[in-house]
Amino acid sequence: MKKHPRFLSLFLFIGVFIFVIVPFVPLIFTSLSFGWRWPDVVPQAWSLRAWEYVVNDGRTWQAVGISLSIALIVTAINIALAIPAANALMRYPVRGKWLFEAIIFSPIIIPPFISVMGIHLTFLRLGLTETVLGVVLAHIAPTLPYMFRALMISYQTLSTDWEDQARMLGAGAMPRFFHVVLPHLAPGIVAGASLSVLISLSQYLITFIIGAGQVVTLPILLFPFISGGDPGVASAYSLLYAAIAILTLIVMDAALRRYYQRNKATKEQAKGVKP
Amino acid sequence: MSDLRIIDIQKRYISAQAREENPFMLHPVRLAIREGEFFSLLGPSGCGKTTLLKLVAGLLEADGGELWVGDENLTNVPPESRRFAMVFQQSLLFPHKTIEDNVAFGLKMQKVGKQQRLKAAREMLEHVGLSGFGSRFPDELSGGQQQRVALARALVANPRVLLMDEPFSALDPGLRQEMRELLSRIQKEFRVTVLFVTHDRDEAFALSDRIAVMGEGKLQQVGSARELYERPETTTVASFLGLRNILGGVIENGHFASSDKIMEAAVHLPLSDGDYFMVIRPEAIKASENGQSGHARVRGVVQEMKYGRGIYSLIVKVRKQLLECVLTIAQAEKTAVGEPIDLFVDMKEVWFLKE
Repeated sequence: MKKHPRFLSLFLFIGVFIFVIVPFVPLIFTSLSFGWRWPDVVPQAWSLRAWEYVVNDGRTWQAVGISLSIALIVTAINIALAIPAANALMRYPVRGKWLFEAIIFSPIIIPPFISVMGIHLTFLRLGLTETVLGVVLAHIAPTLPYMFRALMISYQTLSTDWEDQARMLGAGAMPRFFHVVLPHLAPGIVAGASLSVLISLSQYLITFIIGAGQVVTLPILLFPFISGGDPGVASAYSLLYAAIAILTLIVMDAALRRYYQRNKATKEQAKGVKP
Repeated sequence: MSDLRIIDIQKRYISAQAREENPFMLHPVRLAIREGEFFSLLGPSGCGKTTLLKLVAGLLEADGGELWVGDENLTNVPPESRRFAMVFQQSLLFPHKTIEDNVAFGLKMQKVGKQQRLKAAREMLEHVGLSGFGSRFPDELSGGQQQRVALARALVANPRVLLMDEPFSALDPGLRQEMRELLSRIQKEFRVTVLFVTHDRDEAFALSDRIAVMGEGKLQQVGSARELYERPETTTVASFLGLRNILGGVIENGHFASSDKIMEAAVHLPLSDGDYFMVIRPEAIKASENGQSGHARVRGVVQEMKYGRGIYSLIVKVRKQLLECVLTIAQAEKTAVGEPIDLFVDMKEVWFLKE
């Protein structure tokens, strides 16, 4: 019985290695090589040309900045929208609850291309195309469902007894939210925010249609290099993109851990004092 | 004086289906609880006792009636401003806060300075026997300790009324006993008014100054433990308090005859003629007469014998009626299951009630 999990974990490790780590190897090679062709297994000549191009091009860092700020603004709006929505749908006997849920989840069921065409027409009339604001608004549709789902589950596990208890101790609506509800929702918020940031970062089609090439995010910058331009530069951009995505996840995870650590620090101290 | 007065507070079912049968969750309740009194609401589950408690707390909105503390009308005051405190069945300690911060929470809500409130929290923790636990987290404490913290947290802000909703029912019996003693001591020390909900009559008897027995959404009877046990007003109250020897019958000219004709005896109480129920406490039935008069003799067959804490409790079948009685070990050793037995009912100790 004890050997089984070990075998399983080895199997999992190999799986992760083949499907996650290995694909990065050719990306790294391509970005660092000079004329890497079949049948060479390893590039014959190395070069930093692609990286120099990516790092020195001012557009790169501008695109990184725009991508990240769009992703963060979208996520902040999602949190502000999803908390009251999840609260209302989970806590109150809403008539036609399934209908509201269906509306919120529809962007991930219906292909984004279809809704974006409609959004595009509306935004043209409102003058929101080619603006960051327009792209932000368009990014909300495919990201909000994930945030909403995460918060809905957080609310499901939060019994109203906790708030009743805080109430009986004299806590009004705002202290109740900050002292009881928010700490409970925090992991859900981080889970939802991670998905929201990643999905926003990876949007190509929506950004391309609404931003019309004027709002240059990283995927927009990356696309022409992949579709036949320069595989070296494309690989470098891909790696940069992956690095940013992973970094964002790590930062968010660390923020959550820090949030809990604030208290845990005193806890460790207390444990140390105990005989 | 700041007595808690509940004036005709009531709650109806919201759902439409219940309307035909019995639209009340809680029939209008009128109660006055004295300052510093330990008052229990006792009843089986679903009798409306928790509903009444939540109405007093303000967590449920009443459909009618008023709530006063002293000369202050709290009917429309939100729960957070009533200066009540509540301990629930679960301790509901905030898991991300230390024990000290949990206890100090009520004072923090009242904007008491940090040093002052932490000092008050530490003192209160000392009262519940948990000094030194302040910097731990709730999940590091046992169930009983958590409930003590919940009690400390409720008391720290000096509430006008402490509401408790079956606070010890999730603990094991030994711990429950310990918590009862702690609560009783602290209640007397702080002279706090307590409204305590329980379904456990031993718990209510052990703690309360007065008890209200509830059933079917109504107050059945209010009184001290002894009053309720020795003078129940209805058969519902009697049977809920564990009095199972209830015989229907008629009193005529100061003489009671049970309708199943198992006993007849002179009544010691001045009662007018009519239909009555006779309630016999198990302790009022003896196995020997002791030479006293005023005992009614019944003959039956022992059907069950159970040993419990130094006494035997017997179920004796008298014709179709089962009588429960308690015997000393010496008396019980003279008999056995299936043997006939003579029982003597002390007529001075029985109680009659009219339905």
